[in-house]
Amino acid sequence: MTFSWRRAAAVARKEWFHIRRDPFTLALALVLPLVMILVYGYAIDFNIKDVRLAVSDSDRSQASRRLIDTFTSSDYFRVHPVDSADDAVRDVAAERARAALIIPPRFEKDLLAGREGRAQVLIDGADNATVGPVSQYVGSIQALASRRIAGSDLTPPYQLRTRFLFNPELNSRWYVIPGLTVVIMAILSIFLTSLTVAREWENGSMELLLSTPVQPIEIIAGKAAPYAALAMLAMAFVYIIARTVFGVPFAGHLWVFGLGCLLFLVAYLAQGLLISVVARQQTIAMQFSMLTGMLPSNLLSGFVFPIASMPKFFWYFTMLLPARWFMVIARRSFLEGSDLAQLAVPFAALALCGAVMTALAVRRFKRTLE
Amino acid sequence: MSAPAVETRDLVVRYGDFTAVDHISFSVAPGEVFGFLGANGAGKTTTIRVLCGLLRPSAGFVRVAGRGYEDGERAIKAKVGYMSQRFTLYNDLTVAENLDFIAGLRKLDPGYYARRRRELLELISFQKGLDARVQDLSGGTKQQVSLAAALLHDPEIVFLDEPTAGVTPAGRERFWRLIRLVAGQGKTVFVTTHYMDEAEQCGRIGLMRDGRLVALDSPAGLKKSVFPEPVFEFDPLRSLSSSELSAYAAHEAFAFFESYGPRFHAAAAGPEAWARWAPELEKVFRIRPIAPSLEDVFVRVVEGRP
Repeated sequence: MTFSWRRAAAVARKEWFHIRRDPFTLALALVLPLVMILVYGYAIDFNIKDVRLAVSDSDRSQASRRLIDTFTSSDYFRVHPVDSADDAVRDVAAERARAALIIPPRFEKDLLAGREGRAQVLIDGADNATVGPVSQYVGSIQALASRRIAGSDLTPPYQLRTRFLFNPELNSRWYVIPGLTVVIMAILSIFLTSLTVAREWENGSMELLLSTPVQPIEIIAGKAAPYAALAMLAMAFVYIIARTVFGVPFAGHLWVFGLGCLLFLVAYLAQGLLISVVARQQTIAMQFSMLTGMLPSNLLSGFVFPIASMPKFFWYFTMLLPARWFMVIARRSFLEGSDLAQLAVPFAALALCGAVMTALAVRRFKRTLE
Repeated sequence: MSAPAVETRDLVVRYGDFTAVDHISFSVAPGEVFGFLGANGAGKTTTIRVLCGLLRPSAGFVRVAGRGYEDGERAIKAKVGYMSQRFTLYNDLTVAENLDFIAGLRKLDPGYYARRRRELLELISFQKGLDARVQDLSGGTKQQVSLAAALLHDPEIVFLDEPTAGVTPAGRERFWRLIRLVAGQGKTVFVTTHYMDEAEQCGRIGLMRDGRLVALDSPAGLKKSVFPEPVFEFDPLRSLSSSELSAYAAHEAFAFFESYGPRFHAAAAGPEAWARWAPELEKVFRIRPIAPSLEDVFVRVVEGRP
């Protein structure tokens, strides 16, 4: 029994007709990446820019104004003056401001007398997502401000430049969007295949397919091909948006990233297939794909929660997940420009995941037919 | 006589502890229209799946178009066409796309396929365009196109599993005309149905019950062998209560007593009992002798007390 390209192509062609006539599939493949990249790309950032800062300046001196100026000119804070320290605290409590800067009356005098000038920064600790970045900004601005206040007005240009190098909000986007490729790819591959194969079982057409000499491997290859093409197209789409709209740099080699995409795709298509062979019903297949494909690719791939800080068990567990390895390939391709040799471990792991998953799917598929 | 198109000996299919097909043996001659009847779950579809090369039997001998499972997974599949009861054609695809797909799976030569497709569409007198979506076809037309799909590779045997389920009476009649045409071309047609008028048109009928083949003959032969006794139609002169009815059903005068529309069909238990009870029964029923219908055969053999 040899593999027949002609039969696989017939399956692929038929599948392509299904996709073309099913608005849901096409929409999922093309609109979903767009929506996700816009939501993640913009929403995640906007919180951290223009943080409202309530400022109570009881000193009203040159030093205090300089300190406030440093905040104002940073782009990260929108300063809004209040009359007293109590008002500033009230603003934070009422969520009219995310943070408050309180400068006591003797701020400049203390500085001039050679004592430590004390100003207080309050950050709303209830909003977990902003605490980290905001306190980071404060720290850097503090360093900058102390140089400005203590030193001369003729601030050397290189000190100003340090402000632009410190740019965590851009960095976070650079970090998020390459990771997003993993999530989008995961959804497209596992979801679509598991649904399409489950549909054949559900409506009985699998029986008809199998009454012809077609082999399981030909059905699998034929079914996977159009979805792989669709997912790769979506990936190209995401890549272009990442580069043009968000200006994410791509330091690596496109072919290395493309190869990673393909390997990840194979692993997840096979997993989707395995699900559909086991579930045989579209609704169940959908839930299984959510649970075993989309959830891990979001939560256990390092996309949201860093793997390094996971408990030992999960740290090892994630090694079984293709998403974890593809995440490494995606991020390092975009940001570090790693080549194939540097990414040998994640590539080998991904290939292994794909091979095991494919073998399982084909075996299980054959077994069900007997 | 040429070799049988289909032959089984002691065919057994088990699913775990459940025996779906229990030692059935029969053979079907080339060009025959063979009907397969039985209640749902009697093992008809399972048997057909074995004969189509879809399900390896647990035990027994199978030979279809001269081939068996020992000749490889796909030896049988290449020789037979199959029309399943659950699925026929992809609704969202056009007629041409559906047929192209099957042709691709069967690796038909493009020239041969074009000829064969034209021939078959002519056979079913297909009026709509090849670009028509299957979902826009009527139920009857859809079944006919599906038959054409099953015949594309010119199989020696075609298995039709309830091909006329959900089709209008006129559509069923057209479909059976096609079946006769196909059989006239020398193909063996193996068909399951729940319609007795369709079963009547088969050359021979196999009756299945609980995985066993309980009767096998021509429609006329079955009627004779299943009903050796004289058969009568009982037309009640007054309405009968259900307790009266169950009393008649168990009456010693009858070997068989079943309702048939508003009337009843009955077979006499024996000449003496019949002679003794006839005068009394004639007070309640108008009685006339009839030939048993195939439905009587079906009821007695497939649904009756074992």
